[in-house]
Amino acid sequence: MRDKLIFSPWLSLAPALTIVFVLLGASLLYAITESLGFVRVIGQSKISLDAYRNTLDLNSEFWTSLEFSLWISIVSTFISSAIALLLAVWLSEQRGKTDTLALNWNLAFPHLVWSVALLLFLSQSGLFSRWAASLGLISTTADFPVLVRDRFGIGIILSYIGKEIPFLTITILSVLRSQSVGYDVVAENLGASRWQRLRYVTIPQVMPALIAGALLVFGFIFSSYEVPALLGVGYPRALPVLALRFFLDPDLRARSEGMVISLIITLIVMIVAVVSLRMGERKE
Amino acid sequence: MTTVNIISLNKTYPNQPVPVLKDFSLSINDGEMIALLGPSGSGKSTLLKLITGIERPDSGDIQFDGSSILSIDPNKRGAVLMFQQSYLFPFLNVEDNIGFGLKVQGASAETIRGEVKRMLNLIGLPGIERRKSGQLSGGEQQRVALARALVTNPKLLLLDEPLSSLDTSVRMNLQEAIRNIQRELGVTTIFVTHDLGEAMAMSDRMALLLNGEIVALDKPENLFHRPRSLTAAKFMGVSTFLSGDQLTVKNEACSSSEKIFAIRPEHIRIQKEACKNSMLGVVSDCVFRGEYIEYQVDVNDVTVRARMPMPAPMFPHGEQVRVNFPQEHLFEVN
Amino acid sequence: MKRITAYSLRAVLYFILIAPLLLFAAYAFSTRWFFPQPFPVEWTTITFLRAINDSRTLSSMAQGIWIAILVSVLSLMLALPAARVQGLREFRGRQLAWLLLFLPTIIPPLAIGMGLNILFLRIGLAGTIAGVVLAHIIPTLPYTIFTLSSAFARFDENYEFQALALGASPWQIFLKVTLRMMTPSLVVATLFAFLISWSQYLLTLLIGGGQIITLPILLFSAASGGNPSTIATLSLLFVAPPVMVIAFTARSLSQHDNEIREQY
Repeated sequence: MRDKLIFSPWLSLAPALTIVFVLLGASLLYAITESLGFVRVIGQSKISLDAYRNTLDLNSEFWTSLEFSLWISIVSTFISSAIALLLAVWLSEQRGKTDTLALNWNLAFPHLVWSVALLLFLSQSGLFSRWAASLGLISTTADFPVLVRDRFGIGIILSYIGKEIPFLTITILSVLRSQSVGYDVVAENLGASRWQRLRYVTIPQVMPALIAGALLVFGFIFSSYEVPALLGVGYPRALPVLALRFFLDPDLRARSEGMVISLIITLIVMIVAVVSLRMGERKE
Repeated sequence: MTTVNIISLNKTYPNQPVPVLKDFSLSINDGEMIALLGPSGSGKSTLLKLITGIERPDSGDIQFDGSSILSIDPNKRGAVLMFQQSYLFPFLNVEDNIGFGLKVQGASAETIRGEVKRMLNLIGLPGIERRKSGQLSGGEQQRVALARALVTNPKLLLLDEPLSSLDTSVRMNLQEAIRNIQRELGVTTIFVTHDLGEAMAMSDRMALLLNGEIVALDKPENLFHRPRSLTAAKFMGVSTFLSGDQLTVKNEACSSSEKIFAIRPEHIRIQKEACKNSMLGVVSDCVFRGEYIEYQVDVNDVTVRARMPMPAPMFPHGEQVRVNFPQEHLFEVN
Repeated sequence: MKRITAYSLRAVLYFILIAPLLLFAAYAFSTRWFFPQPFPVEWTTITFLRAINDSRTLSSMAQGIWIAILVSVLSLMLALPAARVQGLREFRGRQLAWLLLFLPTIIPPLAIGMGLNILFLRIGLAGTIAGVVLAHIIPTLPYTIFTLSSAFARFDENYEFQALALGASPWQIFLKVTLRMMTPSLVVATLFAFLISWSQYLLTLLIGGGQIITLPILLFSAASGGNPSTIATLSLLFVAPPVMVIAFTARSLSQHDNEIREQY
């Protein structure tokens, strides 16, 4: 029976693992060889660290982009986590499943669509600008503050916050809901005030999950392309945008640099992911 | 219908040092209900898995009517299993559940309908064809599962603790029902349980299993009254064992200390008067259980447990008493 | 007072959740909505219908749906055996298998896409449906496997043994018992595989190389400099399948799915 229906575990895993292994392995292999200068099309086949040297040169755009990417990732992660924590604590005191369902609604809007919506809301000719004008606060589109495609990535950050708050809220909420109300009642019975309960009971409970989730969010934001490409400016550019522009550059030598940047992003994200996994394990 | 021969089965699971079944042999007569009684881990369930073909034995053979079934596909063996849970398919109604075995064999819808009806009458639940398994009580679910198992006319019915998740009253009821249906259809049956009372009530013969081996095999009444070995006696609820030099048996002073005698707790008498085969003891516990009184009496550093059927005298804790082992109830074990 | 705070907070929350849809609808179904009018003045379906009947829009939707169907079917076929052993078996290396299967969620799509771009150019898969489908399987597969394996972990194999003892063949067991018991999770897994593929921008861009145009690609280029009503119409078309799916499956979404959905 076992041998008839199930085979050996590795035989069953083989199709999925092969696909993952071949596609990921090959793509990483190509990324690494290209970053080392093996650009077959232009006939270069010597190992060279030029691309790494150029990328990491102190005057290169890489550093500005790294700084910009870190800025949007850290700020977005931090703000979303804080708001999500408050929202989750508040929602956990409410009854009913409707709120969780409502939060899931956010899934219907991929990052791309959500960014497009922000664009229509916040651009200088967008909805809010029109409302401000009809209220007499501004007179021309140029008076409206630059909130998307701005120097500081405000639009990008807003877009990520909008998507990540529901995600983190659901994460925290599920921890809060899975824990029995008992602890809170015990603490109250022992004389803890509402804020003390939040500080000493609730937050310690959700912290591991929150940190793990926040690291996941950070990794995602740090490495994703669409939102900064759509809502960002020409300079400074986020790292993934820079990497892709270099990669698609008609000058094939730039491709190596694009690969270098993408590999650096991958490395950072993987480190963050490992830390996040560790945090997640400790939670159990 | 079917005689079953199990011959020298061995089975060891990978990564486990101890074999689950050791040179296990058992013959079951046509139409017989045999109970396998043993603690968890004694190899009962593994035996059933080997018979159904869910697992394969390392060596040995299983024969139905003299021919080996090991090379037959599990789904063609005709050995149907019924579990502790009913495992009624939740997405099918009662009729389709019972008819499942016939359907996969390609029976016509008409045949299936007729057979299902017949089975429902047999299990005493006529007219519930359209219900879903979730709408049935635990006992009803097990009845339907039994019907599902029997509808294909299996050569061998295997019952893996089918009653242990049910309430006592439902359980008694079903014990009787299963026993009657089994007799009526004459299907050879192996019944696995860890409940002594259930095993005795249901089986023609009982096999006591310990660590993958049969330690005793006999009719329930024989095993109950005269278990031959110490292990079997302990299985059957005997806890008092005495060496021969302490006793007089069959009027001859059997002074051999090598012989060991056992007695069932309900045969031990607690009394004030001294007599033959009695010893001095101190009551350490006396519990009124309604139908009997349960005594624990310390005799020479050993605690003797006795059950005195009512009416019986109640001696308080600390009282000096005589513990009497009537010789007609003493039996030798080895 | 407390009740009022709760109600208004909730109102804000719910408003933010549906605001994008309202906004898209306002832009898509109005015309000559000039600055600084706060609300559309002239409602019409002409702009919407024009955008919908545009051949590029139609073909991009058809292509996206076709790709997403292929992706979900293939991921399901790859995921079923893998999810089964991950959900039901204990064996040496199970953790390692998890790690390998989840690598695609850790490595950024950017890096995967750039590497695959070169690989597929070399083996002739770049710019083809097959290439895009293969690339989309990478982010969908972990999700499908995870959903199905947690369903298998709740699945009791004794149902299969029961069917086997009743005379069903392995193939009958698979069709009549296993698949039937797994149906809810199969539906969820398929729908989300579909959605992940449907909304994939970067991988489609890098592998499709301008030959395979799906709705997100159209939307992205429109958003980088198109007119608002086109953008809004494309957005509406783009979110229509997800909105329907979420409405349909909302109750069966569990927390664990959430963790993977981050990619989506």
